[in-house]
Amino acid sequence: MSDRDTDVPDSSGPEMQDHLRIPFISRRRALQLAALGLGAIGAPTLLAACGASTAATTSGGGSSAGKKGGDLVIVRDRDSVAMDKTTVFSNGSLWVYQQMYECLLAMTDDGQGVKPWLAESYEMAADKMSCTFKLKAGVKFSNGQPMTSADVKFSIDESSKTKGGWEFINTAIKEVTTPDDLTVVVKTKYPWAPLLADLSCPNNGIIPKDYGGKTAKDFYAAPVATGPFMWDTWEKGNFIRLKKNPTYWQPGKPSLDTVTWKVVSDENARAIQLQGGQAHINEAPPFSSLEQLKATPDVKVELFPSTRTDYIMMNQTKTPFQDVHVRRAISYAINREAMVKNVLFGNGTPANSFLMPTVPFYDKNTPGIQYDMDKARAELKQSSVPNGFTTTWLGLSGDSVDSAISQIMQASLKDLGITLKIQNVDGSAQHDMTGKLQYEIAHSYWTMDLADPDELVQYALDPDSGGHSFQTGMKNAELIGLSRQAAREFDKTKRQALYTQIQQKAAETAFLGFLFYTPFPYATRSSVKGFQVLPTGYYHMENVSLSS
Amino acid sequence: MSAPTVAFDPLEPPEPDVLVPRRRLRGRRRNTPLVAGLTLFSLIALVALCAPLLTNHDPIQQSLNEAFLAPGAAGHPLGTDALGRDVWARLLYGARVDLSVAVLAVVSPFVIGSLIGLVAGWFGGWIDTIIGRVIDVVIAFPFLVLIIALVFTMGPGTTSIYVAITLVGWVAYARIVRAQVLVAKEQEYAMAARVSGLPTWRILLRHLMPNVVLQAIVFSMSDIVLTLLAIVTLGFLGLGVPPPTPDWGTMIQEGQQFILSKWYMSTIPGLAVVLTGLSLALIADGIVEKANRR
Amino acid sequence: MKYPVYVAKRLVSLIPVLFGISLIVFFLIRLIPGDPAATLLGSHATVQSVAELRSQLGLDLPVWQQYLTFLGHLLHGSLGFSFVYNSPVTDLIATSLPVTLWVLASAAFFTLLVAVPLAVWAAARRNGVADNIIRAVPVIGLGLPSFWLGIMLILLFGLKLHWFPVAGFGTTIPAHLWSMVLPGVTVALTLAPILIRSLRASMVEVLGSEYIVTASAKGISRTRVVLGHGLRNAASSSITVLGVNLAYLTGSTLVVERVFSLPGIGQQMINSILGRDFPTVQGITLVFAIMVVIVNLLTDLAHAALDPRVKLA
Repeated sequence: MSDRDTDVPDSSGPEMQDHLRIPFISRRRALQLAALGLGAIGAPTLLAACGASTAATTSGGGSSAGKKGGDLVIVRDRDSVAMDKTTVFSNGSLWVYQQMYECLLAMTDDGQGVKPWLAESYEMAADKMSCTFKLKAGVKFSNGQPMTSADVKFSIDESSKTKGGWEFINTAIKEVTTPDDLTVVVKTKYPWAPLLADLSCPNNGIIPKDYGGKTAKDFYAAPVATGPFMWDTWEKGNFIRLKKNPTYWQPGKPSLDTVTWKVVSDENARAIQLQGGQAHINEAPPFSSLEQLKATPDVKVELFPSTRTDYIMMNQTKTPFQDVHVRRAISYAINREAMVKNVLFGNGTPANSFLMPTVPFYDKNTPGIQYDMDKARAELKQSSVPNGFTTTWLGLSGDSVDSAISQIMQASLKDLGITLKIQNVDGSAQHDMTGKLQYEIAHSYWTMDLADPDELVQYALDPDSGGHSFQTGMKNAELIGLSRQAAREFDKTKRQALYTQIQQKAAETAFLGFLFYTPFPYATRSSVKGFQVLPTGYYHMENVSLSS
Repeated sequence: MSAPTVAFDPLEPPEPDVLVPRRRLRGRRRNTPLVAGLTLFSLIALVALCAPLLTNHDPIQQSLNEAFLAPGAAGHPLGTDALGRDVWARLLYGARVDLSVAVLAVVSPFVIGSLIGLVAGWFGGWIDTIIGRVIDVVIAFPFLVLIIALVFTMGPGTTSIYVAITLVGWVAYARIVRAQVLVAKEQEYAMAARVSGLPTWRILLRHLMPNVVLQAIVFSMSDIVLTLLAIVTLGFLGLGVPPPTPDWGTMIQEGQQFILSKWYMSTIPGLAVVLTGLSLALIADGIVEKANRR
Repeated sequence: MKYPVYVAKRLVSLIPVLFGISLIVFFLIRLIPGDPAATLLGSHATVQSVAELRSQLGLDLPVWQQYLTFLGHLLHGSLGFSFVYNSPVTDLIATSLPVTLWVLASAAFFTLLVAVPLAVWAAARRNGVADNIIRAVPVIGLGLPSFWLGIMLILLFGLKLHWFPVAGFGTTIPAHLWSMVLPGVTVALTLAPILIRSLRASMVEVLGSEYIVTASAKGISRTRVVLGHGLRNAASSSITVLGVNLAYLTGSTLVVERVFSLPGIGQQMINSILGRDFPTVQGITLVFAIMVVIVNLLTDLAHAALDPRVKLA
């Protein structure tokens, strides 16, 4: 869902925005859910996506193709920020600490629901105001201490109490009680269907009560938890390493001895290290390098389905973008096929809607504006600036995808008589300026974390959600009304009809130029077995093994 | 003191002109480096000027279906880039941009820096101290912050590059000239000039400057290349010459992601930089030759 | 003026330099767009949480007050706390600075190793074949961008021949030394051409001067003339060139650090600027400033020591 990552940006670099935007929860989203009282919506259709997903096989061990042991190295272009599960959002941190902190429940593989994890069973009360969880027996923390319900209570309360972080996830929770050592009862303030999903979010990961006697700061400097891996060492800016948890509750797992995430900002250096065997997994290699990587012996390229979609944003508070004909003209001038070919090197599909195929209620029949220069010229003739105009693209320095898109647009728009100047600023500045609507036209993207379109719909169409309508400044009363209506609709058929309408109208108004849908790219050595990335971007290291 | 041992022995009967005292010449030998350098540079500049005659491709004309053609393809002697633009054309037109930016961006630091260095070295005292501290501040200043600030305030275009390089580049010249002045001012001619009653500015500009500026000129030749490379580094950060203007720096930077597969994309413009650098280096040597023949 | 007094004076002058530079950077980085809290939290942070974080980081205070806090910390020997890593800036610098120093040392070593003999040879054999080759060939190193050179060296000597590590810094001293070869050579390939020309130019000038003629006439062997007198005097003006470039290099080891995955201070500086990690930017700037002043000081001292004609101001 995020259109900007929160990770520590890498140096200077190319791929300031890498292709792997792993989503994190939308606070706004959850607050809205609470406000709109959507407790009635059933759990299967709505869940908070940050839950740790389950392994492909929870029991019976992971892939048996690999041998035991081994030290896995992942190279990526950014570092983690901190291990504090209550306040940290950066994916670079999340993916790492998810290997340590586990929750009562975990997300299923298909991302559509949850399943038992540290809780072996649960039961929702009849009045739907509380849920009772039975904890698995014999689960230990990595320091050997047994996990009890007191730890669970502490962990959930901790997140609820810590301000400026993920606490909004737990707003529905009234109280956590512990009738006995292996039973936890979570009471909510009102009937709240997403409760199970909320409890699978990493911020509700289980840690020792009272931080095991340490201060919060000391604890998070070397956390102790129940996950397959435990804390080893962190050389900031260089690498972070976790090691195998010998007391892990799943038998036979994990296979690996250590997992190291190394920071390598240069994409060529990452590819070389993968080739030379110094690294086993290359996270988010640029699409331009995939051909060459595929041809490398012992290296395989994997493209995991994702919810990432790219757009061109046009600021309607700046002339002439408030004119729908101008926006439509520009949208007609986007040569998506060419972009997929030249910018993505074939790894993507043109977008026809602001929603993506991997999300429910996406309508593939939405007649989104597609490439047609004649229609573009016709639209411009009807607009307030029939002879063209000059505008500036706020580009992202060091991002080759953004750069290529802007130059392709520059050429297409020139044909229409529109002069596009390109101004590149760094990521932080671009974020700032687009957030304050101090730009004219720019590129952006989105990845979902919910299996529900409402998150994106609210952000993109409803200015009240705080996103200025995906930073376009649009205030379309009809679309706003439709989106709110759709959020409250429980009947699936009716909901689909509404979202179809929304997508169609949104496409007509061309408030965003829809570009394309892309997968998550990873390059791994063929010795890596069992590595899989879920649509939310998460992976489970306990299932990964290294064959010789 | 005993002679240090040497790893090699360049000794042979000395060449005549090394032993000849400076003011006596035994026939003029051709100043090869100067001639060679000027020829090469003029050639490059000429090629840049005549770009439209040497190619009929538009350097910013994209042809998305003809991207990544290798050198030697029909109609594209050096191939095409990621957006199907002809590399030879971009190289030629890029020469215009790069040569002018590099030369112009060196002139003001050279002039400003040399003058400041002259003043600092000659007057010494608190003037020198203050200038010295300003130099320290400038050298230690994080260039990237400056560039971001300038690009943001001045908008897209090459002006921000000129300003940034001038603000930072004068320091090298100041230090070099100052060091030379410290030596020169103890020389007899300088002391004579001082007591002669000539106005200071005249001493500085007409007597001192020609004698101390040699090292600065030599450095400026390298500096032009360094400036070219600085623009490449800025391109690395995405803060260089804005598209679609072709320039060697952007071409090198765009080719960087393909180093492992299509290495020639960065190498070709790199070689253009090398050739230009070579010509400038030769010119520098020629100047040194000339100075030593007076 | 005596050396110790001069050195003391220069070190005292460090204070206004540090003050000046910290002031400029402090304000400049707050003027460019980009908010540390917003950058850390991402675009979907609520207005309240951004405000909350800004308050925690002390960013909601007036700028001059923030500066005074910064100065206060400085007086206690602290460079503040990184917004991003939540650890003391001094700790971050303590791990990254040594890496960069190793790179600089390696670069200086290889530069001198290559440049000095070649320059002397070229000057002694002025206008001969060797001279022309020595002047022309290194320019190739100057013209090719260092990231290209670096990658090529890695591919050849690291990946194919396995002589040197492909990346990283290593954990033991021998490993450090080994990992410094390719980065040092990469930088040297850019620095050496500059030094060769300047050293050669000085040597030619010196060798053509009258007192060299005198020395030769006195029967001192040519080797002694060239190396003993010539080199020593030529060195002084070239020291300046090397010193200036090394000072610049402190900030420009970035490319080499990137390509060779060295967790040095150049890399850290870039990251903290892009992440708007104000305390780290300020801290590293101060460290750079100190390093630059010291390098300049050493250069000036060396210049004076080598050339008796120079009087220290």
